[in-house]
Amino acid sequence: MARATTDRPASRADVSDLPNLDVRRASGSRDPLLLTLLPAIVVVAIIGGWEAWVRIAQVKRYLLPAPSEVARALAAEPLRYLDAAATSLGAALGGLLIATLGAFALGVVMAHSRALERALYPPALLLKVMPIVAVYPLFLIWFGFGIWPRVLIAALITFFPVLVNTVIGLRSIDPQAHDFLRALHASRSQIFWRLRLPSSLPYLFAALRISVPLSLIGAVVAEFLSGASGMGQLILVANGDFDTPALFGAVIVLATMGVSLTVGISYLERRVLDWHDSYRGV
Amino acid sequence: MVAARASHWKAPLLVATLPLPPAAVGTPAVEVLDLSHRYASAAGEVVALEHASLRVAAGEFVSIVGPSGCGKTTLLRAVAGLLAPSGGEVRVLGGAPRDAQRAHALGLVTQDPGLLPWRSVEANVRLPLEITGATADVSALLERVGIARFARYRPGQLSGGMRQRVALARALAHGPRLLLMDEPFGALDELSREDLRLELLALWERERIAVLFVTHAIHEAVLLSDRVVVMSGSPGRVAADIAIDLPRPRTDDLISTPRFVALDAEVRAALRGSAPATRGAR
Ligand SMILES: Nc1ncnc2c1ncn2[C@@H]1O[C@H](COP(=O)(O)OP(=O)(O)OP(=O)(O)O)[C@@H](O)[C@H]1O
Ligand SMILES: [Mg+2]
Repeated sequence: MARATTDRPASRADVSDLPNLDVRRASGSRDPLLLTLLPAIVVVAIIGGWEAWVRIAQVKRYLLPAPSEVARALAAEPLRYLDAAATSLGAALGGLLIATLGAFALGVVMAHSRALERALYPPALLLKVMPIVAVYPLFLIWFGFGIWPRVLIAALITFFPVLVNTVIGLRSIDPQAHDFLRALHASRSQIFWRLRLPSSLPYLFAALRISVPLSLIGAVVAEFLSGASGMGQLILVANGDFDTPALFGAVIVLATMGVSLTVGISYLERRVLDWHDSYRGV
Repeated sequence: MVAARASHWKAPLLVATLPLPPAAVGTPAVEVLDLSHRYASAAGEVVALEHASLRVAAGEFVSIVGPSGCGKTTLLRAVAGLLAPSGGEVRVLGGAPRDAQRAHALGLVTQDPGLLPWRSVEANVRLPLEITGATADVSALLERVGIARFARYRPGQLSGGMRQRVALARALAHGPRLLLMDEPFGALDELSREDLRLELLALWERERIAVLFVTHAIHEAVLLSDRVVVMSGSPGRVAADIAIDLPRPRTDDLISTPRFVALDAEVRAALRGSAPATRGAR
């Protein structure tokens, strides 16, 4: 794009309705030093206080290990944690992807027809209220001990939030914009791509922010139940060995995964929806 | 120059390609005959319009004034083919409103402009071109409504007045033969209103496309229009149809002339005469 310059508020967005990823953020951070420093200070203080307390009070290792000990547990077998994390992450994200695609497709159908929405809502709700702990054994029988049962559990647990938000999002169109397009005899698909889909993106991102941690929980619980490899199994083994430092290590790895994914989604959301807050702010 | 540009626009209907000035084309732009409309709501039926009739000749500027809730928006939406009236007939450019939609002959401007917040100003104005397949010089169009400088801005970064200019440019982009405007300046401050009003006046006096214009400002209606249709409330009907025989081209200076003052008073009196029933009921 030869004509793109840095001082333009929109570069690719003027061509396509799929929001652009390379728009410069207009809003700067207030006092960046303080904003990054403060959370770091809090984390250091918590870890330092914890370490000091365990040492001074001589807390038993299997009750509460010192952070240094947890770090040692992690450092002793980093590959084991990385391996398990990658396996769980694969199952979680695989499930999330399947759920998002499926729920979005179904949401498109439901958003276009009240009759179909009414017909499809009860089975969708059934998926939501189904306790995954109860259906997991069935999945094991049907799909074996590979990664698929776990992927499906992660998909099952994230399907509903995405579906509901998709339907609401696709319907959340500006009635005036809709009228304008209809007065031009715009086709359904023109209205979908140019109005409905972009309007639904804020809702889709809200769903993803809910679903990302859910998908991790789904995958880990599934591993936990079946003893299949991954973070769930790692926790199971550490628990059996009374290896509390390893348990803490697993918790820290899982927390890091969840936080990274959430931050990633938020970052993507800010980039893709840069028009959204600026518009709301008016 | 304007005429030359207009010829680049895809002619929406055969008539537009005839070498006749629009005013000489015989088919009226709008004919509303005995229009009635009832809304079914939870609280019961609301009669929004009863036996309303009006006519807009080709190239004519007609304003509708009337108390809030008298059915002006309902009437305009029926003309745009966005609403199927419960009774009566609407003909637009000699056909059904749907045919006018199909011919891309309508341009719509509403109080809340319904711009797409993720698109730049320029891309918003290009929207009707994408839908209809018509071509137009978008930057010239932006120039004409005085927003060329803001071509790359998003709607959220503009003032209300600027947004309304974008809406006007968007409504004109595909070369409509009938412009429908529903309180387009209603949400603006008095100064922006005045600016936009005069620019619309100048624009219309050059292009002479038919306009049906809903407003609450009586002097605005008198200044802009060839005729002012006064509607009365609950249920909505046409109370008066007043020809505005002020010379054209018109400017702001007219407002203080005796003839303008007299016409303004006449519209005001018709509006008052139409109101007591409503006022008494409240
Ligand atoms: N979707 C709807 N459902 C039920 N009643 C409606 C609906 N839209 C409008 N009405 C009612 O119909 C009547 C006419 O409404 P309309 O919006 O056409 O009035 P208006 O003249 O445009 O008013 P305003 O000047 O406030 O914009 C009002 O009494 C309104 O309450
Ligand atoms: Mg209205």
